[in-house]
Amino acid sequence: MEYGNTAIIFMVIAVVACVLGLTFFAVYCLNKIVDRNAREGGSAREP
Amino acid sequence: MHLIPQSASHWHLLVSIFPSIGLIFVLGFYVTALVTNDEPTKRSCLLLFVILGLLTIPTYLSGDRSMALLSRDPKISQDLMSAHFGWGVTSLALLALTGAAALIELWRSRHAERLSNDALHLVLGLAIVSLILMAITGEIGWEINHHELRLDAAPERTPQAWSHIHIILNHFPTVGFVLALVFYVAGLLMKNTVMTRASLAVFVICAILGVPTYVTGAASMWALTGIPGISRAVINAHRDMALLSLFGLAFTGVAAWIELWRFRHLGRFSSRSLYLVLAFAIITLGVMAETGHRGGQINHPEIRVATEILPTDPKAGWSPAIESLINHVIWFVPWQTVHFFGFSLIFGTALAVSLRVLGFWKSMPFSAVHRILPLGVFGVVMNVFSGMLILFADSARYLNAPTFAPKTAFITIGAIAVLYFSLSERLWTVRAGEEAPMSAKWVAALVLLSWAGVIMGGRLIPYV
Repeated sequence: MEYGNTAIIFMVIAVVACVLGLTFFAVYCLNKIVDRNAREGGSAREP
Repeated sequence: MHLIPQSASHWHLLVSIFPSIGLIFVLGFYVTALVTNDEPTKRSCLLLFVILGLLTIPTYLSGDRSMALLSRDPKISQDLMSAHFGWGVTSLALLALTGAAALIELWRSRHAERLSNDALHLVLGLAIVSLILMAITGEIGWEINHHELRLDAAPERTPQAWSHIHIILNHFPTVGFVLALVFYVAGLLMKNTVMTRASLAVFVICAILGVPTYVTGAASMWALTGIPGISRAVINAHRDMALLSLFGLAFTGVAAWIELWRFRHLGRFSSRSLYLVLAFAIITLGVMAETGHRGGQINHPEIRVATEILPTDPKAGWSPAIESLINHVIWFVPWQTVHFFGFSLIFGTALAVSLRVLGFWKSMPFSAVHRILPLGVFGVVMNVFSGMLILFADSARYLNAPTFAPKTAFITIGAIAVLYFSLSERLWTVRAGEEAPMSAKWVAALVLLSWAGVIMGGRLIPYV
């Protein structure tokens, strides 16, 4: 099956956006957890 | 799947990996216990040395019966079997001695608070010598039944060295997972931080080792193609399960690493996350057991059971379907683009963290750059997934490229070295304006060199 350039570019943008979006969201959540715990009672052990 | 082996040879294949490869992992936990001076971990390791010492009995008995069965096979070399027997008996005797020394120390110190350092070092020395002897025994053992390892590489096949490495490497994630689970459950029950962190680290290491195991497995498939008696359909059934194992390893490894990363910042574990890691690990171990069983069916006719139906269609399964799908440009190009983004994330993160450790941007404490490590780890996950898909597209060509093996080795070294940043106590306490310890600088240099090697190895594949 032949695919046009538009279809390929669309797929590249869609797949990259999904994967990078998920990655950055996961990193954001992890850092949020650390920040929240640090604010909530000094449980963070960061020197 | 036959959970209970039906023959002495099958028993020997299963049991013998614990006194050999299992010993490496127990030694790893033992050294951790000695370095951290954690008494419960030391005692748990001594107990495991006793269990490994006891396992020498079924290993010897199953090996002895297996020899009697295999001696009727004209293809099996009697000289190799005799050499394996001689080295095997010596190494098993020494391991039994290690177990006895561990048992005596446990018994002697049952009412004491501390274990004797001399006895602990004696057990360590005996275990290291046992491991060296086990390595020699194992190496001769592989060659008894794997005649293909002695075949010359045909021009269209990948070299047999890949099969040889795969035979050794595939036992590490499986046996490592069993022992990590033992320590992990013990750590949870005893609420022991050292044991829990060490077993989380072993889950991560096993997940990383899953990558070279899968890659060497794919290469072995091409090395074994066309050899009489080896079925492509059976190989594909093993490949399908191996792909599931790789996903299981990735889930467990990432969940375990996140817990290690979080522990660094919060100073405590989340019990919900710990049980999630446990669930992932148990499921993954089950999948890996089935993968191992299917792998054994490829080239061990002596363990096959008459009632077992082996696959016959070489085009059946997910692996051939993914191969066909990823060869369409509309799937290949997006995942290749994801692969490049993954490299950018990994190298960018490795560069920022390593440069701080090497002495750049000293105005920041190490804990600040440690925050960005998940970006690099998720980059690794992105690249393992996209890399596997790209490998599916034309595995024979990629695997025969001279830079592919070094690339795989650098991925393994670079990923394991990154673990140091989340485990080192000394590095964690490096404040703003302070120099990192020299050992951390060496690790940082290794991380940078490894990931640079991965990128160069990858880019050179189409050209050399």
